[in-house]
Amino acid sequence: MKPAPFKYYAPVTVDEALAHLAEHGYEAKPLAGGQSLIPLLNFRLARPSVIVDLNNISELFYIRPDDGGLLIGAMTRQRQVEHDPLVAERAPLVHEVMPQIAYPQIRTRGTFGGSLAHADPSAELVAVNIALNGRFRLRSQAAERWVPADEFFVGLFTTALEPEELLVEVALPPMPPRSGWAFQQITRRHHDFCIAGVAVVVTLNDRGQCEQARMVFLSAGDRPVIAHQAAEMLKGHAPSPELIQAAAEKAARDEIDPGSDIHASAEYRRHLAGVLARRVLTQAFERAKARETGKSGNW
Amino acid sequence: MKVHLTLNGQATTLEVAVNETLLAALRRHGIFGVKHGCETGECGACTVLLDGRPVASCVTLAAQAAGHAVTTIEALGEYPEKGWKPTSELHPLQKAFAVSGAIQCGYCTPAMILAAKALLDENPHPTEAEVRDALSGTLCRCTGYVKPVQAVLDAAAELRGEKVIELKSPLAAPPGLFRPPQEEAGPPPVPSSFPPAGGAAGPYPLTATEARLEVRVAQETRPKTTYVGRPEVKVDAVKLALGRPAFAADVEMRGLLVGKILHSPHAHARIKRIDASKARALPGVHAVLTWEDVPRVAHSTAGQSDPIPGPLDFFSLDNKVRFVGDRVAAVAAETEEIARRALELIEVDYEILPAILDPREAQPPDRRTEVAAVFAPEDANSPADESQRLAADGHVRRRSAGLGSPAGANHELQGFPIIHDEPDYVPFGDCDPQRNLAAAIRIDLGDVDAAMLQADHVFVGEYSVPRVQQAPIEPYVCLTYWDEDDRLVIRTSTQVPFHVRRMLAPVLGLPVKRIRVIKPRIGGGFGNKQEVMLEDICAHLTIATGRPVLMEYSRQEQFMASTSRHSMHFRMRTGVMADGTIVANEMLVLSDTGAYGNHALTVTGNTGHKAMSLYDVPNIRFHADIVYTNRPPSGAFRGYGVPQGFFALETHMERIARELGFDPLEFRLKNAVKPGAEHPMSKVWSEGREAHGEIIHTCALEECARAGAEAIGWQRGQGDKGTRRQGDKEKAFPSPPLPLSPSPLRKGLGVALVMQGTAIPNLDMGAASIKLNDDGSFNLLVGATDLGTGSDTVLTQMAAEVLGCPPEDFITYSSDTDFTPFDKGAYASSTTYISGAAVVRAAQQVAEQMREVAARMLSAQGPAVEPYEITLEERRAWAPDGRSVTFAEIALHSLHHAQQHQIMGSGSWVSPDSPPPFAAQFAEVTVDTETGQVRVDKLVMALDCGVIINPATASGQVEGGMTQALGYALCEEMVFDQAGRLIPTDFQKYHIFRADEMPEMRVIFVETFEPTHPFGVKAVAEIPLDGVAPAVANAVYDATGVLIPSIPLLPEKVWRALREA
Ligand SMILES: Cc1cc2nc3c(=O)[nH]c(=O)nc-3n(C[C@H](O)[C@H](O)[C@H](O)COP(=O)(O)OP(=O)(O)OC[C@H]3O[C@@H](n4cnc5c(N)ncnc54)[C@H](O)[C@@H]3O)c2cc1C
Repeated sequence: MKPAPFKYYAPVTVDEALAHLAEHGYEAKPLAGGQSLIPLLNFRLARPSVIVDLNNISELFYIRPDDGGLLIGAMTRQRQVEHDPLVAERAPLVHEVMPQIAYPQIRTRGTFGGSLAHADPSAELVAVNIALNGRFRLRSQAAERWVPADEFFVGLFTTALEPEELLVEVALPPMPPRSGWAFQQITRRHHDFCIAGVAVVVTLNDRGQCEQARMVFLSAGDRPVIAHQAAEMLKGHAPSPELIQAAAEKAARDEIDPGSDIHASAEYRRHLAGVLARRVLTQAFERAKARETGKSGNW
Repeated sequence: MKVHLTLNGQATTLEVAVNETLLAALRRHGIFGVKHGCETGECGACTVLLDGRPVASCVTLAAQAAGHAVTTIEALGEYPEKGWKPTSELHPLQKAFAVSGAIQCGYCTPAMILAAKALLDENPHPTEAEVRDALSGTLCRCTGYVKPVQAVLDAAAELRGEKVIELKSPLAAPPGLFRPPQEEAGPPPVPSSFPPAGGAAGPYPLTATEARLEVRVAQETRPKTTYVGRPEVKVDAVKLALGRPAFAADVEMRGLLVGKILHSPHAHARIKRIDASKARALPGVHAVLTWEDVPRVAHSTAGQSDPIPGPLDFFSLDNKVRFVGDRVAAVAAETEEIARRALELIEVDYEILPAILDPREAQPPDRRTEVAAVFAPEDANSPADESQRLAADGHVRRRSAGLGSPAGANHELQGFPIIHDEPDYVPFGDCDPQRNLAAAIRIDLGDVDAAMLQADHVFVGEYSVPRVQQAPIEPYVCLTYWDEDDRLVIRTSTQVPFHVRRMLAPVLGLPVKRIRVIKPRIGGGFGNKQEVMLEDICAHLTIATGRPVLMEYSRQEQFMASTSRHSMHFRMRTGVMADGTIVANEMLVLSDTGAYGNHALTVTGNTGHKAMSLYDVPNIRFHADIVYTNRPPSGAFRGYGVPQGFFALETHMERIARELGFDPLEFRLKNAVKPGAEHPMSKVWSEGREAHGEIIHTCALEECARAGAEAIGWQRGQGDKGTRRQGDKEKAFPSPPLPLSPSPLRKGLGVALVMQGTAIPNLDMGAASIKLNDDGSFNLLVGATDLGTGSDTVLTQMAAEVLGCPPEDFITYSSDTDFTPFDKGAYASSTTYISGAAVVRAAQQVAEQMREVAARMLSAQGPAVEPYEITLEERRAWAPDGRSVTFAEIALHSLHHAQQHQIMGSGSWVSPDSPPPFAAQFAEVTVDTETGQVRVDKLVMALDCGVIINPATASGQVEGGMTQALGYALCEEMVFDQAGRLIPTDFQKYHIFRADEMPEMRVIFVETFEPTHPFGVKAVAEIPLDGVAPAVANAVYDATGVLIPSIPLLPEKVWRALREA
């Protein structure tokens, strides 16, 4: 198996890469870790005539503290994010999902930004970045803009990126105090893309009521789905099992739009989404409470 | 473009194409330790280290290696002894992999070793969980990961200086391998909450590596042996650990062309017009073959003995295509790229024909057989959608339709698809291509119907099992060329080299003597390569071009255009007396052979021959229809029809036991066949040939059941299913808990008893030859086909035992039709038994000649000695008075000094018996009743497969086999869309188990001494596949009270079944 022929550029600066993209537009594809793109090339499902390899652009590989939050360069390898202590401390949700993505070989090459730019609606990082209110910095030769994560994913494998743009950086804000997080997914086997999955970040106010709940569903439609109505139900109330159950059911019934394939029917996915939503909300609120009472010392 | 990199420590410049993967570029430059297994990064066989970290080279561009350090297995270690030049010896990982039995076929070994090296370089003290995570990116279809994980832990210990791994024989048993049984722990606590799905450990808890192996001698007849019974290092382990170029594709050849196949996009179509002129005109294309170009010879692809027990219905190329993936044309070109472009340039006009995609609709409605009528869809007008049907499959459906029920409604017959309407079809047996019937079997023992009327209870149940793929990590690969004598050489990844030669001669129009088949190391087969599938077309291309041609399947082709396990539908009907005695047992089967009838009769015949013989019932009926459909051909898959049968039989028996309130194990043992009995089906079935009744001489089924029950904690029972052991029907089936109950998890235990056979009696033949060399070493030439199983090693151990010298004194070679004697090949669990007996015979002849020479030598030096008085031991021939000559002295004497002759022997073996191995298989599961997820926590297999020649390779067979069977139970399934296209064509959609999701496994050998074999062996290779799926389904039944009558137990299926219960 061999990809169809293409022109190959391996620029060493972002500016150079953007110049190639500006010149070739739709004909060109940036190549990050290649763990999604190269299989597509191998099967000739993608046939770009120009490949702009980002792997030699050292300015895109970094993890930096930023005002309580984090800045992650788009080319930072998944493996590095997985093992980074700063990520474990400031974005424990990211830290928790990293080992669930693929296998060591894949995480060695795969990048943080590539997984987002690829916009697979069952990719863990997609949901996690939305739950964490991440913001993405996009650059073209002409301009630079910041796009919030929940506006970045516009459809199946489709993002707000223009062909001449690169995703260069992800900003993860600090989690508010009294916040808890959780991620659960159901895969047919380990490491598979999930049949259903939910990432959530919840925040309690000082009276123990839910102030904010960002619950994001994977494999629940052509893009990640944010459960706004469920969040409204929770807001202003102390989380109880009954309320959690009701919010989970609401989200699963009314807010997601899962499809059917050989792994699972839409009906079953909806059921799982409800079960998982209840489980992640329960876990996240527990963590938020633990943090409030200072029980958790690890972050 | 030029790429400058550091390759295995050397600054190197490679000339690569920009669009070339690193895998392709490395192999093109002779780095053959890097293996191709897929194109998506899923299998990991292509793992290399990039700057010290593992990456999948199939999803990395060669151009991206520029400026980086690439390390392959070639950089690690050297053969320990290479003449006068000191070597770096083996890396501790390589030694550990060889010694611990972690290497079976060896195809993924370089990848595993590299992945492990990256781990150990960074973390010298890995936990088992970390080792499993590091290996999780490399799929292994052979080992079940138990021994590779152990090997990495051992190598880590050696690297830390805590232990020394000795490669030399005699070996100590690998640590941890022969641990005595531990104290039985109390019942594990039932967790009160759902295990976090995710988190660092993932949703599946990691299990302790425990390959405990116990040998319990059930009979005291076993003779004392020196080399037989020891965990010898495999004779091919070192080369495989070193990643030497040992596989079919690991060759460089001048003028080599790449062969590619154009596969049909349609399930059923006639080729109206095919125009290859544009493809032929493409520069670099050397041949394009269509059905118009090659001789039309009806043949079978099933690698079996002469005469082929099945229809001849396959043509190298045909003007009709019968499944999505069938051959349309073949191309040979200078590069893969040109070959692929040429395929795109072939113009084909198809006349699309209606297709048969459901075996239950294969027969014309007005001419259904009685068997087909039983399985016909209730509404013949609405073709059943397989996925809908599978999803809806819930409880056992009871149906009253007897065998004689009227066949389907009158139906418009015109246009009913007939898959084999070619006039040159050669029928076999009861086939009837006019109703898409590839084979039919009707066996009646006693009077089933009368016995059912007498029975106190009659149980009817329907069961179904899916089509699954063998998925060897090395896909089909074949190299053909004309040698200097203009003989056609076929170097191929096959289990049946001698059948390839015999069967292809007429297809290619060459006499057998003009063909040479070489079987190098094989990257796994599991029955998939008991098929002559690629060799014919590759050879046609060599004949057409005069050039060497290499053909390699991609993973996608391997899924859609090779063979797989027959899917089957079953209806069981069993008559039982009030005391639990089974008086009548009936199995009706509808089996899907796919587009061709290869293995149609024999696989499904085996289903009944084995499954219907486990319980010694006087009245047995086994009726089967094996039908053509427009799906890929089914074929041989380890177990050969038997896992299918035991799923139906053993879940059915579970239901009977529970509904009648018997302990499932006691009920089974009461009815199971006993030693000394006649094998029930042996007198009526022998692969479509004349049958002879066989007596079961050895059967330790009861001991196996007791040992396994103890190991799984059968007696302790489980908390979740109440008191079923007391036979309390009320409490035996708790209803599934409410969704809000504190814990949705339920645990359960299940069992299945199984049996297999050992070779096809009176047919399977193996042969071996042995010759003595100047230094007292021996060449052992066997036709037997080691495909990773370790047969070369156990055959060597048997020769070593007879000749009294260690296995390392043998140069063992298998198999090459020019050099090695005939062997029918690796299938039917026959090699250790049949080929082993042939080796023993050959060795006995050599021993006899050596004793004669030794007697002459010793008599000349002192008191006269008779040959019969001489014993061979420790590389010497001993006189009773203690004088001896060495083997080397005997060799020099007979080759150079006096009465010169070559000491050599050859032996053949064929057996009138096929002694069955027996086993009890147990599973412990946890079911999440809310989501339907089933987690298998533990598998135990206690088996009687006669004397164990090599406990390391034998337990490796069992662990690997159970792992394949676990996939069958839980997650593997070939699903097709409405157009007949296979949906899972990669390892993402088709999931086989990885290192970090394995249950704990325990293997217990209960040895017997089988009197029909010189060393008392029976088969071990296939039986592990038989009982896992029913044991798991029975454990889910135990946990939830719901028996799910079809596999795989996908979460959605389980969820639906629980919801409907
Ligand atoms: C065997 C296997 C298993 C996997 N399992 C999982 C899994 O369980 N979960 C999961 O989430 N993923 C999984 N993946 C995908 C993996 O995580 C990929 O690495 C990831 O999705 C894409 O990242 P990449 O860096 O490899 O991007 P690439 O493959 O290089 O690129 C992906 C796409 O994004 C574009 N792109 C990349 N970077 C940029 C950028 N900076 N700016 C603009 N466009 C860009 C590319 O042009 C391309 O279209 C798996 C992959 C494999 C091969």
